[in-house]
Amino acid sequence: MSKAILIDTTKCIGCRACQVACKSWNDLKGGKATFSETWSNPRYLSSNQFTRIIFREISSPDGQLHWHFISRRCMHCHDPACASACPVGALIKMPEGPVVYDDGKCIGCRYCMMACPFQIPKFQWESAVPLVRKCTFCADRQAINLAPACVTTCPTGTLLFGDRPELLQEAHRRIGAQPGRYYPEVYGEKIAGGTSKLFLTAVSFEELGLTQAGFRTDLGNTPQGLRGREWMSKVPYVALAVGGLAVGLHYMNKRRAEVHAGERQEDENDG
Amino acid sequence: MAEKIEKWYPGEGKLTTGWAIIYVILVLGFVSACARLFLGLGATTNLSDAYPWGLWVSFDILAGVALAGGGFTMAAAIYIFNLKKFEPLLRPAKLSAFLGYMMFVVGLFFDLGQPWRIWHPLVMWNPHSVLFEVSWCVMLYTTVLSLDLFIIGLERYGKQSWIKFFRDIYLVLVVAGIMLSTLHQSSLGALFLLMPQKMSDLWASGAIGPLFFTSAVIGGMSVVTLESLISARVYKRKQELGILSDLGKGLGLVLLVYFAMKVTDLYARGVTVWVWDKAHFFFFVELFGTVALPALLLCFKEVRQSAKGLYWAAGLAAFGVVLNRFNVSLTSYGGYRQISYFPSFIEIIITLAMVALGIVIFDLGMKYLPIYKSELTVEH
Repeated sequence: MSKAILIDTTKCIGCRACQVACKSWNDLKGGKATFSETWSNPRYLSSNQFTRIIFREISSPDGQLHWHFISRRCMHCHDPACASACPVGALIKMPEGPVVYDDGKCIGCRYCMMACPFQIPKFQWESAVPLVRKCTFCADRQAINLAPACVTTCPTGTLLFGDRPELLQEAHRRIGAQPGRYYPEVYGEKIAGGTSKLFLTAVSFEELGLTQAGFRTDLGNTPQGLRGREWMSKVPYVALAVGGLAVGLHYMNKRRAEVHAGERQEDENDG
Repeated sequence: MAEKIEKWYPGEGKLTTGWAIIYVILVLGFVSACARLFLGLGATTNLSDAYPWGLWVSFDILAGVALAGGGFTMAAAIYIFNLKKFEPLLRPAKLSAFLGYMMFVVGLFFDLGQPWRIWHPLVMWNPHSVLFEVSWCVMLYTTVLSLDLFIIGLERYGKQSWIKFFRDIYLVLVVAGIMLSTLHQSSLGALFLLMPQKMSDLWASGAIGPLFFTSAVIGGMSVVTLESLISARVYKRKQELGILSDLGKGLGLVLLVYFAMKVTDLYARGVTVWVWDKAHFFFFVELFGTVALPALLLCFKEVRQSAKGLYWAAGLAAFGVVLNRFNVSLTSYGGYRQISYFPSFIEIIITLAMVALGIVIFDLGMKYLPIYKSELTVEH
């Protein structure tokens, strides 16, 4: 059964314990915090930062300010664009849910980074032997029947780990039970073919202003990788057609030239 | 042409300014390449998580391969469409195509995070990946081009029995070359099918594969034209204006087809064209300045029959292909990224050094290989 995490952002208090737990479990170096115009810290995901909380201050129509804390991490798509893009198959979707990366295969072409619609894979730019890094959905913890580190550490129950169909049911139950509390759509249910991260938010991602920051809403419900696979499915036929045409035209044009030359010869003989 | 030259540097007579610049760039390039390999991509390039692909992908890989389209275009014209009059242009086209693909391979070597794993796609397969197909096609086609050059080399050393063997199988090489080129030239565009939302509407087209293929034909034909004109001047040979003006007619035709394809595609997708911003500026330059303008120029007989006219038309067309590749892979993301990208000094130097190396190898090829000899041409 495919696992997922339900992220109920209305329960998040922005404590960032998930960020810390993620760093501890994955043995990632701590970064230097700096002041900026936002409370979000660090500012971006990186090869050293697999998850972070985005802080958003949005005023509702009645003029009241509301905090929104949105956890950002790999969506672990059902049909990941990165896995379709990778030329050596270093990225694969496990039936259990995680999209995992094979350090030993990667050639460092960075096509996964270009292809990912959620801008998730990050590169170890500072290294002379760089690899791609991203959230692993704690595949190593799941293998020994532990929940992901972020879920285990979350103090408010924002993160709920479980089987995806059940989590979806729970998400829709919550929306139905408290319609005023939630935007009536589960981000990740259908987008880009569905993901293993399901987001419940108070307002839409457009309103949160995050469509350019990794939570695109214009992706449609078909997986991005499908376009590449459709192209690849045509390749053998194109190869055969071009090859056949080339050989056929070669002999046809050669014969035509010969006939033409022969006719000219005859004309000369006649004359 | 084949006599031994007792000098450590190529070129005629004393060391000219041009060659001096080339050597300086090569030395700088060598140092930069070492720095890139030992210090890593982050330290030596301006690439980042926001711009994983930069100058090397845009120029060395995308533009380099498109400009090297002359090899398969000329082979198709001569062997498939039986246009024998273009035969004198075939060998220089192959030499420059080979250099274009070497540039791809070397450029990719420096661009990859783990260059020593460049062989991985050979044994680690992902048949779903467009890039997997591109890497196989490029590997095979580079092999075909190397064989082509090898045959030319055999002629220089008069190995007749070997040449006969290759003549017998030559059609296989030609057809393989055309097939592989069609596939990877279009698939390089198809790489961008996966990320239409990240790109500007101006270039995020479902028809990007056929568009890339057509513009590669343009790139190939215009480079063959420029190459013939420039080498005639440099190596004091007679200009082949008669053939080139015929080729110019073909180039004009392909440019018109490409322009029609672009316009149809934009119209069919309902793209807002008449807006003024940075992306649109580059788009207008590309579509009108480097596709429509050379097509228009080549409509005139006077342009087609003068070296200067052909220089301009082919130069604009070739520049247009390069600009298109930059637009697709860099400009297109301008509206989407918060950060902008400009290549670092080392990125630029390594690219320039590869161009310089290409010039040196081309010069050696012109001196030591029967590139413009017609009496030994492989016949069919």
